[in-house]
Amino acid sequence: MLGSLLRDHRVVICIGSGGVGKTTTAATIALWGALQGRRAVVLTIDPARRLADSLGVAALGDEPRPVEPAVLARYGLRARGSLAAMMLDQKGAWDRLVARHAPSGEIRERILRNRFYLNLSQSFAGSYEYMAIEQLCVLVESGAYDLIVLDTPPTKHALDFFEAPQRIREFLDRRLVRWLVMPYLSQGWAAAKAMNRTVGFLFRKVEEATGIVALAEISDFFSAMSGMFDAFAARAHTIQAILHAPTTAFVLVTGPEEQVLTEAEFFSQRVRALRMPLKGVVFNRVHEEFPADSVMFPGGTVARADESAIAAAVVAAGIAPERVPWLASNFVDYQLLARGEALRMEEFRSGLSRRAPFVTVPNFDSDLHDLAGLRRMHRYLFARTERAAAPPEPPAASRVPLEPSAPQVPAVRRERGRTEKLHRAPRQR
Amino acid sequence: MHHELYDRRVLFVVGKGGVGKSTVAALLAVALAERGKRVLLAQMGPGRRLGELVGVAVGTDAPAEVLPGLCFLTVDGGAALAEYLGLVLPVKRLHRLVVTSKLYHHFVAAAPGLKELMTVGKIWYEEQGESVHGRKWDAIVVDAPATGHSLQYLRMPAAALEAFGPGLVRREAQKVVDLLRDARRTAVCLVTTAEEMPVNETTEIHTQLRDRLGMPLGVLFVNRVHTAPLALEEIPLPPPGAPRLIGDVLRCAREEVGWAAINRRYLARLQAAVPMPTVTLPFLFAEEFGLAEVRTLLAHAEGQLAALPSAAGGDA
Repeated sequence: MLGSLLRDHRVVICIGSGGVGKTTTAATIALWGALQGRRAVVLTIDPARRLADSLGVAALGDEPRPVEPAVLARYGLRARGSLAAMMLDQKGAWDRLVARHAPSGEIRERILRNRFYLNLSQSFAGSYEYMAIEQLCVLVESGAYDLIVLDTPPTKHALDFFEAPQRIREFLDRRLVRWLVMPYLSQGWAAAKAMNRTVGFLFRKVEEATGIVALAEISDFFSAMSGMFDAFAARAHTIQAILHAPTTAFVLVTGPEEQVLTEAEFFSQRVRALRMPLKGVVFNRVHEEFPADSVMFPGGTVARADESAIAAAVVAAGIAPERVPWLASNFVDYQLLARGEALRMEEFRSGLSRRAPFVTVPNFDSDLHDLAGLRRMHRYLFARTERAAAPPEPPAASRVPLEPSAPQVPAVRRERGRTEKLHRAPRQR
Repeated sequence: MHHELYDRRVLFVVGKGGVGKSTVAALLAVALAERGKRVLLAQMGPGRRLGELVGVAVGTDAPAEVLPGLCFLTVDGGAALAEYLGLVLPVKRLHRLVVTSKLYHHFVAAAPGLKELMTVGKIWYEEQGESVHGRKWDAIVVDAPATGHSLQYLRMPAAALEAFGPGLVRREAQKVVDLLRDARRTAVCLVTTAEEMPVNETTEIHTQLRDRLGMPLGVLFVNRVHTAPLALEEIPLPPPGAPRLIGDVLRCAREEVGWAAINRRYLARLQAAVPMPTVTLPFLFAEEFGLAEVRTLLAHAEGQLAALPSAAGGDA
């Protein structure tokens, strides 16, 4: 499903709000690349410990670490290409950036010790995002990979990701800095205050309100950084080129919950506004709505009122009666939930570009935080076109898998056929 | 019965994104308002969920009454900073000159941490507020942003003490730090779900709050807990020839039992790693989630809260 799309792309950027399975999705896409014979790397922000352990990237590093073929083989995965993973170390990435561009060792040290820099590199809104993209840039330029999958930060601030290069560039804008800071630096604080009545007044007020230390540190930072502005500006251009390249795909990862979809809508509008169209949407942890039997449920959907009829049918099938009330009410709970989700997803999709394909991944009965989980998710993300390459299902072990038992009926197709019949429901606010 | 959490002046609600912080913040605010308190429910930083939940449009800059005794307010760092400068620079023209200047936007508004500081400062300001009836608010419930970011907010006042030279900001930062660390006035409630990532993150937040920020801890809310009366082995396979419906019913049962098992496992891990009094909230099979659902969850929470040991966030 996503395979046909991603085949033409070299960079895949997964966006979406936290807790929707973005990291797992990103890792699964990279795994797919490796199985397809590509040299794939996933750059993650904050993977679940189990996934990190599973991939062997539990430690922060400045280099991608290869996932050993033997590790993959243990899960029945035979990679024709290679899989590597890297966990982003934000502070380290800033320091490396400074080290790479600083014109001299003395200036490098001055920046690295600056208190404003320490604060900026750890907490400036957007800096984490900037570093993710900076690292992406490094990986692209290395030429060592032909599929790079980027997981974005797990907060709403991930939006800053798109604007980070622009914001950093503005932040470091040379003219503005020169206008504001240089007079102060060259002539000292007192001179700046005297230089221009307005500027002097503002400095004085700001000084009173904030304390002078912060401003002095900021000025020192800018003066130390001034030699690096051109390098930064050039970098921002490279980054923009990568983000807008036809070989770069944005994939939105979301869930079916109201709140999550509201945020997803926001993400999707933003990427459109930034002219970086979505190439795919993944709905994770979707509760499956089973086609309702038209004889038993004339309305075509399961309602609370059907609970007793369902219970009767379950008893008639020979299931031990003491379990039946819970089984029936649980089924109705799930189907009502699934119905609400289907309506919300339908409404969300109606606002998307027609060309953005989507895939739904069911709410499994286990969480996906290791290679076995990635393999399980892989079957859904790449079901339609990659069937031949899809890894085998794990041994049934103690549980019956939840997925459709016949892989030749991809979840996506059933989902689409069903939701096309739905009427748009008014959304309650 | 009545838990001492309800005697605090300020409750911060902290947790990973998407676990139900806003729900728990609304739940606590409703519980306090039902006890006759004048409550401010504050959304700290950007975020729309809480406003949607209580039915208030985004962008209100004055507290809006959403229920009797319960007001909602979005606290935005930029606005709080401008408001604060208004207190420092009472002359309107000068104030406008400052906040519209390039210098202000480029350095002050963009200075790392200042907005966070002002946001927490605004909470303190509201806590201090007086009205003709006496205290402006009996209690303030703060819906904090997602973890990493909320720790940044809560860390700022202490960081400001270090980073800023003697001046107004420093003096006021001290008062805010005093409020944040005062176990008689403040408590931090954590919210999580019983799953891998949220549990890892909650363990980390707990350590940070306790060891690095020194903030008094309240109650840990574990949200969206699935429970099932059966074990996986007790769910039969569909009898041969049974209608498709039976298979579907059993699959839904397996899904629920599967999640109940995951939740049980992570609850046990949480209880070992995070020594806080714990309240569990059930997963609600609701098509829409609004104040009615918040009240349903509150009904589940009340009994558990009343039964908790009272040493919870005490002066220990």
